[in-house]
Amino acid sequence: MEQANSLRFSGSRHFRQRMVLATLTSKAVTIVDIRSGDAAPGLRPHEISLLRLIDKISDRHTIDLNETGTKLRYRPGVIIGGKGLEHDCGVHRGIGYFLEPLILLGLFAKAPIAIRLKGITNDTKDPSVDTFRMTTLHMLKHFGVPLEGLELKIDSRGSPPLGGGEVFLRVPNINSTLKAPFWVDEGMVKRIRGVSFSTRVSAQIENRIIYAARGIFNRFIPDVHIFTDHRSGSSGGRSPGYGVSLVAETTTGCLLSVDATVSYPSVDEINEDYEKPELISPEDLGVQAASMLLEEVAQGGVVDSTHQGLLFILCALSSRDVSKVQVGQLTPYGIETLRNINHFLSTRFTIKPDPNSNTVTLICTGNGVTNLARKIS
Amino acid sequence: WREHMLSRQSPNLNQLVYGKHSTNLDGVASEDNHDDDSSDDEEFFKPKGQKKQSKNESSSLDDIDAEDCSKFFKAELRDWSNEDLINSIRDRFVTGNWSK
Repeated sequence: MEQANSLRFSGSRHFRQRMVLATLTSKAVTIVDIRSGDAAPGLRPHEISLLRLIDKISDRHTIDLNETGTKLRYRPGVIIGGKGLEHDCGVHRGIGYFLEPLILLGLFAKAPIAIRLKGITNDTKDPSVDTFRMTTLHMLKHFGVPLEGLELKIDSRGSPPLGGGEVFLRVPNINSTLKAPFWVDEGMVKRIRGVSFSTRVSAQIENRIIYAARGIFNRFIPDVHIFTDHRSGSSGGRSPGYGVSLVAETTTGCLLSVDATVSYPSVDEINEDYEKPELISPEDLGVQAASMLLEEVAQGGVVDSTHQGLLFILCALSSRDVSKVQVGQLTPYGIETLRNINHFLSTRFTIKPDPNSNTVTLICTGNGVTNLARKIS
Repeated sequence: WREHMLSRQSPNLNQLVYGKHSTNLDGVASEDNHDDDSSDDEEFFKPKGQKKQSKNESSSLDDIDAEDCSKFFKAELRDWSNEDLINSIRDRFVTGNWSK
C-alpha cells in the first residue's frame, strides 16, 4: 500500500541525501528500482550500513526493504542521538561517507551525539576524516553552531581495502533553527595547512609528499605548514596507504580543502580486475594534491567543490531568513543536491552567475526547520 | 553586451538545475517506468553486462544508480608550474599585487 504523502524515487542515486532530507522533513520516502538492472541488484553493503546507522540513532521509524533490496520504504521517526554509540562502517566506503549525513542528523537530534565509527578513515572516494576535522566542522559555525560541542578525534587510521581505523565524533544538537548565513566574501588565501598520513609504510614517505607539495606552493605563498601523522602498529589499521589533506585558509575565514590518498583498491574493485595496479609515488601525490588545491582556489567561492552539497542543505534548513552564499562552478553533486532540496522542501534557490569572477551566487529563503526532537522529549 | 549575457545566462542556470529535464529523471516515478515493468520480459534474458555498459556511457546525471559521492573529480589537472597559470590566480593570495 502506497501512502499518498510518500515521496517516490527510483534508483540508488543520492541515497544519503534522500534519507537525510526525509528524516529532517519527516516525510516518508519510497525508493524503487534500486540497481534493478545491475548484476548485483539492490542496496550495497555501505547503504545497508547507513540504514543501520539511522536505525541506531532514531526511534519510532520504520524501514522496509524487499527481499532483493531493490525497493525501500522509509518512514522517519525521531532522531534520538545519545552517548556511547558505536558503528562499524564496513570496508566498502570510507567513514567520510557516513559523517556528512551523521552531522546533519546530529544537529537535529534530541540529545547530542557521541559516536565511535570504525572503518576506513582515508580513501579516494570520500572526503577524508582530516578534511572533516579541518574544514567541514568549521563550516558549521557560519550557521550558528557552537564549535565547543563539535569534535572529531582520530584514534587510529585505516586505509582500504581492510580498514581498521577508528574515529570518535561528537555533534551538538541545536536549540531551534540554524542561522541563515550571508556568506559571500571569500577573501584571499593567507595560509595553507595540512596533514599527511601514512599507515603501515615508512614515515619517510610523508616527507616526500610534503616536499613535493611545498614545491608547488612556494610560488604562491610562504606560509605553508603540513603536519605529519605517521601511524604504525595497531593505530595504523590493517592496510598500507598514504595521503595528504590540504586546506587553504582565507582572510575571511573560508576554508578550501582537498585530499588525496594512495592505497590498494577497495574490496568492491578487487573483484573486477585482479591485477594490483601501479601506485602513484609520494612525489606525484604531493604535486597532485597541491594542484587540486590551487584548482579550488582558482574556482573561487566560500567553500570547495566537495562541500557544496552540504552548504546548500544547511542553507535550505536554516531559519526563515534569506541566505546568500557564493560558490565556484556548480558541481554535478551540488546540482543534484539543489534538485533534492526542491523535492523535499520545495525550496528553489535563485542562482546568479557572476561572469567576472566565474562564481555563482545562490540566494534562498530558509525553511526554518526546527529541532522537533528536542521539544518532544 | 556583458549585461546582456548575464541576463541571458541566469535563467539558463536556473533552468539547468530545476528545468523539466530533472523532474523527468528522478522526480515522481513517471509513466515510462510503469511501462518498463511489462516490457521487461524481453530484456530479462539479456546479459547484465550489456545493460551495464550502456549505463556507463550515459552521463552520470542521467544514471539513476550513480554512485553517491560528494567529492568532485576534475577531468585533468593543469600544470601549476606554468607561469601564465600562476599569474592568473596570483591575486587570490595575500601575497598578490594589490597596488593595481
